[in-house]
Amino acid sequence: MFASTLKCRKSEREVMSTENRKYKRNRNHQRSSRNPENGNRLNSSRNLENRNRSNSSRNPENRNYLNSSRSMAGRRSADNESKQGNRFRENARSAASRNNQRNRRKQENRNRQVRVEAQELNARRQEAARKGTGTRFTIRMQKKLAVLFIIVLLAFMGLSMRLYAINKEDSQNYKKQVLSQQEYNSKVLPYKRGDILDAKGIKLAYSEKVYNLVVDASVINSKQAYVEPTVSAVNTCFGIDANELRLHLSEKPKDKYYVVKKQLTYEEISPFLELQADKEKGKNIKGIWFEEEYKRIYPFGSLACHTLGFTSKDNVGTNGLEAYYSDILNGTNGREYGYLNDDSALERTTKAAVDGKNVVTSLDANIQKIVEKYIKKFNDEHKGEYREGELGSKHTGVIVMNPKTGNVLAMAAYPDYDLNNPRDISAYYSPEEIAKMEEENTFLDTLQGYWRNYCIQDAFEPGSTAKAMTVAIGLDSGKLKGNEYYDCTGQLEVSGHHIHCHKTGGHGSVNVSGSLEQSCNVALMYMGDAIGTETFMKYLTNFNIGLKTNIDLAGEARTANLIYDADAMVRSDLAISTFGQGYKVTMIQLANAFCSIINGGYYYEPHIATEIQNPDGSTAETIAPRVLKQVVSAETSEKMRTYLNAVCITGTGTTAVPAGYMIGGKTGTAETYPRKQGQYVVSFIGYAPADDPQVVVYVVVDRPNVEDQPHSTFAQEIAKGIFTEILPYMNIFRTEQLTEEQEEELRKLKILESVSENSVENNEEEGAEEETEQEEETEKPDYTYDENGNIIDPLTGYKVDPDTMEYIDPLFSTIGDISGTPSENEQEDTDEEGSR
Amino acid sequence: MSVRRKNRKREEYFFDYTLLFIVLFLLGFGLVMLYSTSSYEAALDYGDSAYYLKKQLLSTALGIVCMIIVSRINYHFWERFAVLGYIVAVILILLVMTPLGKEVKGARRWLRLGPLSIQPAEIAKLAMILFLAVLVCKMGKGIRTWKGFGLAVGAAAPICLLIWKVTNNLSSAIIVGGIAVLMVFVAAPDYKRFVLLALGVCAAAALIVFVIVKNAEGQADAAVDGGIQSDAGFRGDRIIAWLDPEKYASDEGFQTLQALYAIGSGNLFGKGLGRSMQKLGFLPEAQNDMIFSIICEELGLFGALSIILLFILLIWRFMVIANNATDLFGALLVVGVLGHIAIQVILNIAVVTNTIPNTGISLPFISYGGTSVLFLLSEIGLVLSVSKGIRLNDVG
Repeated sequence: MFASTLKCRKSEREVMSTENRKYKRNRNHQRSSRNPENGNRLNSSRNLENRNRSNSSRNPENRNYLNSSRSMAGRRSADNESKQGNRFRENARSAASRNNQRNRRKQENRNRQVRVEAQELNARRQEAARKGTGTRFTIRMQKKLAVLFIIVLLAFMGLSMRLYAINKEDSQNYKKQVLSQQEYNSKVLPYKRGDILDAKGIKLAYSEKVYNLVVDASVINSKQAYVEPTVSAVNTCFGIDANELRLHLSEKPKDKYYVVKKQLTYEEISPFLELQADKEKGKNIKGIWFEEEYKRIYPFGSLACHTLGFTSKDNVGTNGLEAYYSDILNGTNGREYGYLNDDSALERTTKAAVDGKNVVTSLDANIQKIVEKYIKKFNDEHKGEYREGELGSKHTGVIVMNPKTGNVLAMAAYPDYDLNNPRDISAYYSPEEIAKMEEENTFLDTLQGYWRNYCIQDAFEPGSTAKAMTVAIGLDSGKLKGNEYYDCTGQLEVSGHHIHCHKTGGHGSVNVSGSLEQSCNVALMYMGDAIGTETFMKYLTNFNIGLKTNIDLAGEARTANLIYDADAMVRSDLAISTFGQGYKVTMIQLANAFCSIINGGYYYEPHIATEIQNPDGSTAETIAPRVLKQVVSAETSEKMRTYLNAVCITGTGTTAVPAGYMIGGKTGTAETYPRKQGQYVVSFIGYAPADDPQVVVYVVVDRPNVEDQPHSTFAQEIAKGIFTEILPYMNIFRTEQLTEEQEEELRKLKILESVSENSVENNEEEGAEEETEQEEETEKPDYTYDENGNIIDPLTGYKVDPDTMEYIDPLFSTIGDISGTPSENEQEDTDEEGSR
Repeated sequence: MSVRRKNRKREEYFFDYTLLFIVLFLLGFGLVMLYSTSSYEAALDYGDSAYYLKKQLLSTALGIVCMIIVSRINYHFWERFAVLGYIVAVILILLVMTPLGKEVKGARRWLRLGPLSIQPAEIAKLAMILFLAVLVCKMGKGIRTWKGFGLAVGAAAPICLLIWKVTNNLSSAIIVGGIAVLMVFVAAPDYKRFVLLALGVCAAAALIVFVIVKNAEGQADAAVDGGIQSDAGFRGDRIIAWLDPEKYASDEGFQTLQALYAIGSGNLFGKGLGRSMQKLGFLPEAQNDMIFSIICEELGLFGALSIILLFILLIWRFMVIANNATDLFGALLVVGVLGHIAIQVILNIAVVTNTIPNTGISLPFISYGGTSVLFLLSEIGLVLSVSKGIRLNDVG
């Protein structure tokens, strides 16, 4: 079939090849000008050979068609003129006879012209007709195809109009829609508030990431299929009442932000996240998301609560260090936001949160624990003893300081509260009482009372502990030589007032040291006379009494109007001031002044923070101890240490002496206003060791709950307990022989065993060598084990075969194994355990 | 013989390079747009932003090979396969019901053939073109009678019904039917029946829409909240959503509305290639049926009209080739391909612009879809083969 077709084509082509170029040219004219003359032009260009045929075919009908039909059809009819010209005429004829007629005509024409070619063509046609496919694509069909094309064009035009209309009418609206769908509303990325660390790096406060469960009702309600799966998932995973949630969904169907549950940990939300990620079950759980935030955690609960303070919403520090260092502890929130750039294209940017800095303090969690243990012990012992239903004291405060730096090692006040739950005072009040307080609007005041830091916020008359200052003032100002003797008859008349000594019978003749030892008021009043108002008050101001110490805690009390005005002071005012009555101090003021008396006269600014760390733990700033002034001379200080030591050897302060140590100190008992009520603030301030003060402990018990209050022994017992435990902990060594009773006592406290080993060895050697000593200790065993349980020769650090006890070739071991000498970590571990 | 033929072809036979160029341009443009549209979702779902592009490139390459092969074979060669093709198409459609069938996104329309999966509906379109071309040629003048007309249209009906019912793919059924009607329209001399047919279809469609809307209104009164719950099936829902897409913005109207947002936000010159926001997860099936709306968004009205113009050029070339075809068979083949492409383009753009209810029709050469591009290119090969039969002196 192919072969025959090909032959036909070939013959036809040969006939017409010469005409082709001319036709082409004509066609161009025709396309541009499609005028009625087209037919003529075509005629003129035809060659003789075809003229006859074209004449016969060029009937009016044909020309009309050429002119009126679209260029395509017209052009084609002209192009195909040689073989199709006949068709034009035929179109007018009836369809039934067309084929036959045409065939007949064609045959005639061909016969007349090139007989051979015509025969071939005819053969091909007939063959094609037989097969049923040889029929031509008629003009009528072409017309219809043209109509189809026009319809398609119209459809495209319509759609283009539609596109244009959408763009014109709704463009602005839709643009907004597109933009509003984008999540370019900003999202806050919360920062992490810095930690508060103790001197040993133990975290006293830190922030943990938590999740708030947020329900977006508009999303859940967007499809009915979401409601039930979501509600039931929230119910099972978080125990949220399903009915309540449904109620919320129906009452506020468009609500986007409803916090159902707050501060969930990751462990708590992970079951839900798993469920949501499940392809089958989680498919219809929508509209639940978790808002991240940080929760402040205080791992030790109430430990050092007043010193640390806590944070309320949005990391606002309340009280203590949290408030004072709030700006440093806080970071900067990050933000994730989208914005439209110059080309109105949406860009998303994440600005990471900057975490807050850590504050390292001089506080020592262990010392703080010991301190609070003894405070609690005292208060538990005397709870409800005299005053029904009251605690062991109105307040108890303890400050432990390093006198050589002004750093606070522990600061505790009682009653305390749980930092993780600062509004919970149910430990002290029954629910009924709390409800009553809330009714009377006194609940917050009560809370504030518990949040107050007695050590820095409450002022009181210091009593006899202030005598140390008076004597130091006398000695330093030169008004006292230290060899004076005073005669105490039990009272002294000053400006008509009879001012009593606490010993009504009188102390008789006492020297300066004795007056401190016996805490003789009369002797002190004589000294006051010698010193004079002006000098006394000048020194008192030097001791910062009446001024803020500027300790780095929030809320230190102002006591300026709680002391005498030097110009308005009368003699009796001075007289009672000498033994610590008539003016008020805060604990930190007195403790710090006392430090300066015993440390060589240097007045340090009391401080708790020692270092500011970057979030990664590197040091950002070191806070060095700061000497503000020299209050008394070194000689005076030395003399004072002797006197104060004597107080604890033969004087009133013997109760406070811990077993095995020599300490110095001063007791205090001050009657509170209103006088003659039997209400006293008893206190003791002491230091150890007596010759080289390393730690100062100041204990104040405000109105102990006992029948007979004015005994400083209450405070001294607390101080003794604290000294007994913290001195070994601080590696301050025993200097005194222990009696058997004392040994027994220490054994009870489980101090003796652990301490005795250390103290025996350390008595002979310097404390600084302790570490090396312990290193030696750990190297004592013949063989040690690494973390994999391999036996290690401690001398070479090589692994040893457990069977043969020979070295395993280190070349074949990994480097980590070779370096398996008792690691530094292990040493540190043993060190810590030993020192604790 | 073959050597001789080749030599002559080079010298004097016609080859429609214009058509080839338009098709290649559309393919290239389609791949660029496909990558732009699908990269975000592909990176999200498959971790490879070129996931869809690679698959489409493979199909396109295969399609071009097919096109070249088919264009080199004389189209009369395929005549003998007309009936066979028809039967094979029917069998393949039925095979979808067997375990060979493959379900994608809830629709069982694919056949798994080794690593490839094909859509029998695409094969059916080609088979229908071939079959009808042969049938009409055989009928000769018989097509003018009502009987002939009925026979031709009736031949298409079984396949349409099968596609509709078996593969639940109304849009493909409409396309196959449309191809048949267009071919018969061109072949048959009169207009009356077609006008009647068109009026009938329009009236039926209007009636269906009317009934569904009435139904939905009754149900909406009964239902508590606005979700579509008519029992007219998803097609009914789509019709309701078509009339008021904003009302069903979160359900059936979602895709349409998102497409409209994309078109409307494009303006005259668009946001720029690759700058679409709607493709970022908002417009479902953006790389598929909705690719035209992304073109509108990124390239604007200008880009959209350019694409439409390209398709018009393509169809014009088809018309030229059909008009110059050496015989009726070749011309009808070209008309069939013309009808196929024209219907798909028009319906696709109409869907995207919410001119007609939402139905899944892809945009030829541009939308993602391996079988589609493979068979479209084969059809182009067929057209090129027909164009080769034209002597230069006929067309130039």
